[in-house]
Amino acid sequence: MSDSADPVELQKHVKKYLFIGALLIFFTGITVWLSFVELPTHSMNIIVGMIVATFKAALVALIFMHLNHERPLIYKVLAFTVVLCFVLFILFVMANSDPLVDRQFTAPLQSVEQLQ
Amino acid sequence: MSAATTHDHSHAADHGHDHHEQAWIWKYVFSTDHKTIGIQYAITGLLFLLFGFFLMLLMRWSIAYPGVAVPGVEVIRSIPGLGYVFEEMFGRWLNADGSLNGELYNMLGAMHGTIMVFFGIVPLGFAGFVNFVMPLQIGTIDMAFPKLNMLSYWFFFLSGVLMMWSFFVGTGPVQTGWTMYSPLASTTAIGVTNVWNHGHTWWLMAMVFNISASLLGSVNVITTIINLRAKGMGWMRMPAFSWAMFVTAFLLLLAFPPLEVAALLQLSDRMFGSSFYLPTGLMEGGKHLDISGGGSPLLYQHLFWFLAHPEVYVLILPAFAILTDVIPNNARRPLWGYKMMVYSMLTLGFLSFLVWAHHMYLTGMGTMMTTYFQITTVLISVPSVILLTCLMISLWGGSIRFNTQMLFGSAFLPMFGIGGLTGLPLAFSFIDLALHDTYYVIGHFHYVVAPGTIFALFAGVYHWFPKATGRFMNDKLGKLHFWPSLIGMNLIFAPMFIQGMAGFHRRWYDGGKYFEQTAGFQNWSTTLTHKIGAFFGLNIPDNMLSLNIVMTFGAIILALGQVPFIYNFWVSIKCGEKVKSDNPWNATTLDWATPTPPPHGNFVFDVNAHRGPYEYSVPGHPTDFFPQWETEHGKPNPDGSDEVKTASASHAHH
Amino acid sequence: MDIPYTVHARPDTGLYNAKVGIWLFLASEVMLFGGLFSSYIFLRVGADYPWPVHELNVTLGCVNTVVLIASSVTIVWAWAALKMRKFGLYKFLMAFTVICAGVFMVNKTFEYKAKFEHYAVKLSDGTILTGHLPHGYHIKFGEVTQLSMSIPLKTASIGADPVNYVLNHLDAGASPRFKTEDGKEVTLDAATFAALKAAAIDKAKAEKRDTAGIKLTALAPLAFTVSQSDIFAYAADTMTFRDGTVAAGKLTDDKMTIEVDGVDTRGVAQKEKSLAFDHRYLGEAWQKAYIANRDHHTAEFDKNYPTRDKTKSATFQKEAFFLPIHSATAPAAEGHGNGHGAEAHAPAADHGDAHGGHHPSVVLEKKDITFFSNFTPKLNTYYAIYFTLTGLHGLHVVAGALVLAYFLVFNGKMMREDPEHLANRVEVGGLFWHFVDLVWIFLFPLLYLL
Repeated sequence: MSDSADPVELQKHVKKYLFIGALLIFFTGITVWLSFVELPTHSMNIIVGMIVATFKAALVALIFMHLNHERPLIYKVLAFTVVLCFVLFILFVMANSDPLVDRQFTAPLQSVEQLQ
Repeated sequence: MSAATTHDHSHAADHGHDHHEQAWIWKYVFSTDHKTIGIQYAITGLLFLLFGFFLMLLMRWSIAYPGVAVPGVEVIRSIPGLGYVFEEMFGRWLNADGSLNGELYNMLGAMHGTIMVFFGIVPLGFAGFVNFVMPLQIGTIDMAFPKLNMLSYWFFFLSGVLMMWSFFVGTGPVQTGWTMYSPLASTTAIGVTNVWNHGHTWWLMAMVFNISASLLGSVNVITTIINLRAKGMGWMRMPAFSWAMFVTAFLLLLAFPPLEVAALLQLSDRMFGSSFYLPTGLMEGGKHLDISGGGSPLLYQHLFWFLAHPEVYVLILPAFAILTDVIPNNARRPLWGYKMMVYSMLTLGFLSFLVWAHHMYLTGMGTMMTTYFQITTVLISVPSVILLTCLMISLWGGSIRFNTQMLFGSAFLPMFGIGGLTGLPLAFSFIDLALHDTYYVIGHFHYVVAPGTIFALFAGVYHWFPKATGRFMNDKLGKLHFWPSLIGMNLIFAPMFIQGMAGFHRRWYDGGKYFEQTAGFQNWSTTLTHKIGAFFGLNIPDNMLSLNIVMTFGAIILALGQVPFIYNFWVSIKCGEKVKSDNPWNATTLDWATPTPPPHGNFVFDVNAHRGPYEYSVPGHPTDFFPQWETEHGKPNPDGSDEVKTASASHAHH
Repeated sequence: MDIPYTVHARPDTGLYNAKVGIWLFLASEVMLFGGLFSSYIFLRVGADYPWPVHELNVTLGCVNTVVLIASSVTIVWAWAALKMRKFGLYKFLMAFTVICAGVFMVNKTFEYKAKFEHYAVKLSDGTILTGHLPHGYHIKFGEVTQLSMSIPLKTASIGADPVNYVLNHLDAGASPRFKTEDGKEVTLDAATFAALKAAAIDKAKAEKRDTAGIKLTALAPLAFTVSQSDIFAYAADTMTFRDGTVAAGKLTDDKMTIEVDGVDTRGVAQKEKSLAFDHRYLGEAWQKAYIANRDHHTAEFDKNYPTRDKTKSATFQKEAFFLPIHSATAPAAEGHGNGHGAEAHAPAADHGDAHGGHHPSVVLEKKDITFFSNFTPKLNTYYAIYFTLTGLHGLHVVAGALVLAYFLVFNGKMMREDPEHLANRVEVGGLFWHFVDLVWIFLFPLLYLL
């Protein structure tokens, strides 16, 4: 991150922080509004909501946490961590389903559900 | 700062009137010095290993002689003080005739696993060695955060106390295996009205402190390696020891949090009545539990094994770390394939996060995921094999010094090899389904961690003991320690493969006695046992159960084999043969550049790494080793405190 | 002897020690919350009930989001101020950040408190009634003549504990006088019970039994009032307390009075015939209101989204099959539809506020209740993960605020003498604080909105 103690530079940074803060609050409003919009499926609501949240999180990480100009070493550590996190997200759920088998077994079940 | 080689002599006498010396309690108990903390970790770890081993002896007795009183119980009970402690911990659970029952066996099993893994091997192998050796080896004065380092040890110590306390509470310690699988662990003895009387609560609390300690420790280790390496100590000049510890620290850092999640959710299930791990409609004792349901036991298993598989490599990598120092040093040869080993360790570290569900084939995972985990599991054996092979090739053409640490080091290679190769079949789900939870699995991972890792840890203790104390451990006693250990270990674990394939289950407290089918079964190994027994006039029946007797016999040999070690360890601190040089093994890494024992601040000169860590038997060099800190032979450093590295070391050029 | 690179960065890595340390710690934290979020996904995918959407108080969540974002701006601003050596501004901004943390936690407390007071009762046909229990829920058990305890010797220290566990529930005024097996009359208190227990254990040991037994006969019949969590099981004539004490007597009352503020029929096969509309409970008038509400929302959904599958719209399912109740009597059947529809569109279940209105009071029979809980982790996996995630996040907020407050209060000397070092500390503390904010950015939509 910037070791510069140049006051002019820092003053510019402060303006940027305030702007990003306002942007984050604005996007919070967007998220709330989007969640009340009835998209074709609820999964789409979730996906859209998560995209906005990820964008907000990226702003915090890049600007507030100075990840937009960090040392390579930090990136390496974080990349490793993020990959593992996705492993956690994806594999836990996938381990419980079986795409090779599911089609045969769940298709009839779903049609039963629809009958109800 | 001088090379105060004798600074620890009679400290008790002189600390009172020496104002420069810290008070005893700050210097040896609440110390922030990485060496003291390392030694604290190592000794605590060794004591826990001994205790865990004692639990196992009780279990082995019950397996070989179910229903027979444990020998010596009455003697122990009659000793004042100790008798009371024994009675509170174990005695109250024993049958009236002094024999073990399933209840106590389950407690012993759960605590043996927990203590060996989290309180024995990791503190000794990782925390102990990394704290003592790593800062020396990368040429720094201390860890990056010395106060956190102290906090880390005391968190660990507290967690040990809490874990031991669970033996004394009302329900006794946990009985649900070291894995603490829910829903059993979530609901067992849920009726206990006061949660503090329940061993499970203490187990979870102990683990919270243990995890916090590892977290602080691993942050410290990684930061130190990243930011405090000496001048010239580039990444590829760093000894493989520190590399392995670096990877291990990352595993601890990133794998433990999911376990913390698992423990938190389990705590919530127990204390707040939630249903994270409890499926809808769960019944116990013919009654629906008062829960909402909707959770899944599989969630626990995923979270748990996401830690527990990398944990396996946390147990093994320190062993490799130690051997990458011990083997080149005693073979007087450079470490073969240093770079390949470093990359293998990194690969191993990464892959170890992607294989956890091979512990869960039996849960009925989908075929696609099973296939995925089989592939990654087989993949991870590649870097493991590379590591082992590199160590073996390093021996090639060396003139090997068979001192005690090298004996342990070289025994590690075949022992770990057996453990690793017997693991390969388990990677395949169709074989695993048959062998799951049998003694085959027990044999497999014990070969990896017991004669594998623990042997390497012993090698490390013998290797760095002179640096820590200024005295050698006795080599003859060391050999008296090594051979019974090797024989004992193999007598215990080799028959497990045979029993396991015959279907012996790991949780039979009676060793299968009440299972007629297994008891009647015999093969060449049982016949051999029978005949050898008969030769010595013992009546060992010719069936699978006889192997239980062999294993218990092996355990007793192993126990006797530790006596010389314990004696050697404590007596050598004061009475061992003094070291004559700061580099008694003629090693090349920076940990041997310090005075002996290293003072606070470690180095007496501005240490620099001038070359790679394994410059043994360099052609044209007058001695068979060329230390990292020497600019040219005999000129170790600008103000050379002890440059007389006599050429008495054998010139092992080939 | 000083550790190098505590203040200035190491040239080749470009980082000072604490910076490396905090990022590693944050990596570990990412894995911690990663584990929790993946548990969330796992539980949500596997949920066998409609996952609550918009069920929490969105306004409160929104306010908290804004508070956290504001504090994130001020902490990074405080760091910049310190770098510029504007000490007054720095102090003000740090204080502001800490106050934001306080506001966040106060909001959180209100949110939690409302949930502890609000209950959901699952009936045997799957209907869920939500509401308040004006008197809590108690089981009354009277005419108790005998208490019997069995104490396993191995776990004697945690065996039956009638003094602390059973007598608490004795109805006021009754005297705990008992006759022991040898005919002595005693007042049961800690000392008496300890003596009785010791005698029973000795006796059991002498007889080589592994369980000691104590039987106490009450001199006058006793009555107990217990809550469900105090007991294991009960029948018409016995009640087993959690400590293992068994009381013999007669069940007097186990009915539950609930002031209903919502009827959820999503888990019922024949929704309009839900047990909730039984004549003993809400009755026909509310059934009519329910049907009108359902038809209104069905028509509206068909109009707005003619091609969509109603079973797949969580919003529709909730609006049509969850009837919020805001008055003590059912509204007249005609003309209520629109008004009610508007209500259902509002973010439902402001659990705290709902208490102000009047609600129909219903007396439920125990045999119709399969499960009940207040809105705590026990209720379902959603509330379990909600409390775990927000609770752990709250702990992080508190811990972060404490650290920042420490810098503000105790590091004045460092600020004047070595501001660069303090700036590093604030930066590191700030990184943690941003991480806490970052977690909330995901928590808010996942728990409150989606």
